[in-house]
Amino acid sequence: MPKEYLGEFEELVLTLVAALREDAYGAALAEEIDKKMGREVNLSAVHVTLYRLEDKGYVKSSFGGGTKERGGRRKRIYTVTSAGMAMLRAMKESRVELWKMVPQLKMNTKLG
Amino acid sequence: MNERVPRFLRWFCPPHLLEEIEGDLVQRHERDLVRHGASKARVRLCWSALGYLRPGIILRNSFTVRLFRMIMLQSYFTTATRNLLKSKVFSAINIFGLAVGLAACMLIFQFVSFEFSYDTFHEKLDRTYRVTNDRFQNGKLIQHGTIMYPTIGPTMAKDYAEVEAYTRMMPSGEANFKVSDKIFAGEQSIFADEHFFTAFSFKLISGDHLTCLKDPYSVVITEATALRYFGRSDTKYTEHLGTAIYLAGDSNPFKITGIAADTPANSHLQFSVLFSYSTAIAQDAGADNSWTWSDMRHYLVLKPGADYKALEAKFEDFSNRYFQGEKVSGSIEKFYLQPMKDAHLYSDYEYDIARTSDGRAVWAMSGIAIFILVLAWINYVNLTTSRAVVRAKEVGVRKVMGAVRSQLIGQFIVESLVVTLLALAVAVGIVAAVQGTFNQMIRSELTLASALTLLDGQAIIVLTVFFACGIILAGFYPAFVLSAYQPATVLKGKHQGSSGGRFLLKSLVVFQFVASTALIAGTLVVGKQLSFLNEADLGLNIHNTIILDPPQRTAWDSVYLDRIESFKHAVLQIEGVTKVTTSGRLPGQRLGRNFGIRPADRPSDKQYTLSVMPVDHDYIDAYGITIVAGRGFLASEATMKYEDLKTVLLNESAIRLLELGTPESAVGKVIVMGQQDKKWTVVGVVKDYHQESLHKPKEAIVFRPAYWNNSRASIKLKDNNFERVLPEIETAFNQHFPDNAFGYTILQDRYEFQYRDDRRFGQVIRIFTGLGLIISCLGLIGLSAHMAVQRTKEIGIRKVMGASLFSIVSLLTSGFMNLVIVAALVALPLAYLGVDNWLSGFAYRIELNWLMFIPPILIVVGVAAMTISAQVLKAALARPAETLKYE
Repeated sequence: MPKEYLGEFEELVLTLVAALREDAYGAALAEEIDKKMGREVNLSAVHVTLYRLEDKGYVKSSFGGGTKERGGRRKRIYTVTSAGMAMLRAMKESRVELWKMVPQLKMNTKLG
Repeated sequence: MNERVPRFLRWFCPPHLLEEIEGDLVQRHERDLVRHGASKARVRLCWSALGYLRPGIILRNSFTVRLFRMIMLQSYFTTATRNLLKSKVFSAINIFGLAVGLAACMLIFQFVSFEFSYDTFHEKLDRTYRVTNDRFQNGKLIQHGTIMYPTIGPTMAKDYAEVEAYTRMMPSGEANFKVSDKIFAGEQSIFADEHFFTAFSFKLISGDHLTCLKDPYSVVITEATALRYFGRSDTKYTEHLGTAIYLAGDSNPFKITGIAADTPANSHLQFSVLFSYSTAIAQDAGADNSWTWSDMRHYLVLKPGADYKALEAKFEDFSNRYFQGEKVSGSIEKFYLQPMKDAHLYSDYEYDIARTSDGRAVWAMSGIAIFILVLAWINYVNLTTSRAVVRAKEVGVRKVMGAVRSQLIGQFIVESLVVTLLALAVAVGIVAAVQGTFNQMIRSELTLASALTLLDGQAIIVLTVFFACGIILAGFYPAFVLSAYQPATVLKGKHQGSSGGRFLLKSLVVFQFVASTALIAGTLVVGKQLSFLNEADLGLNIHNTIILDPPQRTAWDSVYLDRIESFKHAVLQIEGVTKVTTSGRLPGQRLGRNFGIRPADRPSDKQYTLSVMPVDHDYIDAYGITIVAGRGFLASEATMKYEDLKTVLLNESAIRLLELGTPESAVGKVIVMGQQDKKWTVVGVVKDYHQESLHKPKEAIVFRPAYWNNSRASIKLKDNNFERVLPEIETAFNQHFPDNAFGYTILQDRYEFQYRDDRRFGQVIRIFTGLGLIISCLGLIGLSAHMAVQRTKEIGIRKVMGASLFSIVSLLTSGFMNLVIVAALVALPLAYLGVDNWLSGFAYRIELNWLMFIPPILIVVGVAAMTISAQVLKAALARPAETLKYE
């Protein structure tokens, strides 16, 4: 099987789903991206990404409780699957590997 | 809060996502209200909602499911292709069998749809009727025809409000025209009145459709005729309106008043020239009002919504009013209406102007086509199901891997669809290849494309439903059988087809052979009847006879008789010519009738009807008609003056009808026939013979001497070497009859023409019988192959136990032979009924007996035995060591 590829935004959303746990739903995720990354994203982008991740099997979803501020509508809470977790880990590791190849500032001081 | 979320979101958002998305939007909106204020928040909300207008959301509902199906469909196709390629012989048999069936069906379909398309181009077809007429004399039906008096149409139109329009016509045979200096003979011509182009939808290219047939000596010719006369390649026919052309034997010029489009091939009325009706009655002032001159055909167009049966019921009163029993016309007249759409296929009228076909034969052919197709489909089901053993493991494995039944059904349906489409492609190829031969055989110019354009909406629906049902049923049965296997049983490796399934397989094979046997029996009997027609003793000799076209352009003057006698004499001098005679009618032609004949010594209130044969004094001798009493006509009695003709001959039927006693006592009697009670002396009695085809009973005939320039010369030869004598005959003809076109036909061809429908039917049934047999055999190959595989072990064990080759072969064969014999026995009564029905269309026919049905059984059994022998021998010869080594 070819290795699945995860886009930048997908990775971001997936990571946040993992981070927010029981509180991972569309609006909260968008809010978090806004807060942590300073990126104002359209809600629809978040939703489409969540669905795509769900299709790929990295997250699964279930309905949570409705709150008054949502007009009584239920939230769909997303949780990372083990495949999603493995994906995140693999990506992190490959990033670290790559990062190790980059000449570090430390080395420069040594030379100088 | 609901109203805050834009409504448009619901239009495109799949419902199962809506709650979540709306919830998130509302939540975000709450936040925005605090941060940005009401109006800005509102804009942001709309903007966010609009963001969902993207394929990832909109198509989410159906797309993923469809995508999955697409992938499966692709997989079905792959599997189907692999399966087809895996067993090439089997696939080829399967596809070829189906293709042959489809091709046969398409060919017949072309023919049948053409036959059913007759006259559909008439706009008022559904309310146009032919008036038909039965005449009764002395309580007996003497004529069942479409010919009647010129007054019928106009009177009916006047008396009955339902009649919107009428038109009348009279065929005038083959016209012979002189245009400029050229002579054109053999034009199919009709006298038609001025309502012709109003009642019918024949197209007029130029000329006025209301008046072109109004004046005497008006003539309308078809485009093809105009092309021949004037040799134009463009379509400016209008220039020829008003051109004078000359008809043979008439010094008055005819004026072209219209050019009509060529008659469609599917028209029951065929013509190349139309004369105005007023021309026909121009010579005789009283003709138009005649209640006795019966040569007119009438068509009525009824007003929309009129009930023709109700109108028909009023005709009894009509007949009483105008004919007063037998008083006016000498017979009791009954009138009926025949819907014009039935004119081509369902007419059995005498003196019919219509081009007719036997509707029963057309239906029979449709039946055969459907039969063949069903056979092919059964074959497909049979062959596919017989592969069950091979496919059972596949099904088992698929099920274990998690395939649900609907997916398996889908897979098999796709497979059958692939096979059907391939077969369809092959079938179209076969049709294209044999189209020419087929057209030649049925004498028409059909193509698949033209047949399709002839269809109306209803027929298209019926055909589509029929084909769809066939494909679905043929695909579904194997699909259901195969997909029902339990993996646990089939994967254990001991799978045997269910007994119910085997019963179905067997009954399908029986059905196939029932059909084949019935078709073979039909073919043989039809062939026997056709050769009976050929060999039947007609009572006169029609062999080796040349018929010359009449010298119509030669004037009917005082020396005509000498001229014709001198011509006959000249022809007799030609080596190879044995006899020459001239006559107004020929063997095989419908004779005219005289309705007012009676023995002179009896009262005039009882009259009789005889067919009249106008002949010269050499006719009886030339055609070898047997004289049973008295003598034939004498050369010395020949005269050009009608008043001086005084002798007649009668045939045996005629003296029976007139009750003149024995032939000997009839000779010398005087009969009254013709105008002013003209008296004729019976000088001889001849034996009955077949004037027309064997479809028709022998009729009562009176022969009278006739000499005129419309008579055709019959030239009898001693052998059929026509080419040798024709140049000399032509020379003699041109010498005696200058300014005439020499034309000839062979009498036997003319006579044969009466059987063209029968021969066509014979050929078609023969071909399709062959096809049916081939398809059935393919089915049997499939079944025997299946059996051979299933019984391999059994045979092996039998051989180990000491069974001989012969006993095994007979064991295997008997299973199939029982099926075939059962089929044959079922088929015979069916064949008997069918064939008997076909034969009932002949007045003279072979008698059926049961012995005739033995050859079909032998053929079927023989062919079936040969078909299975390969498989049976293979199975029987297999070495037990090989077959049993896996046990």
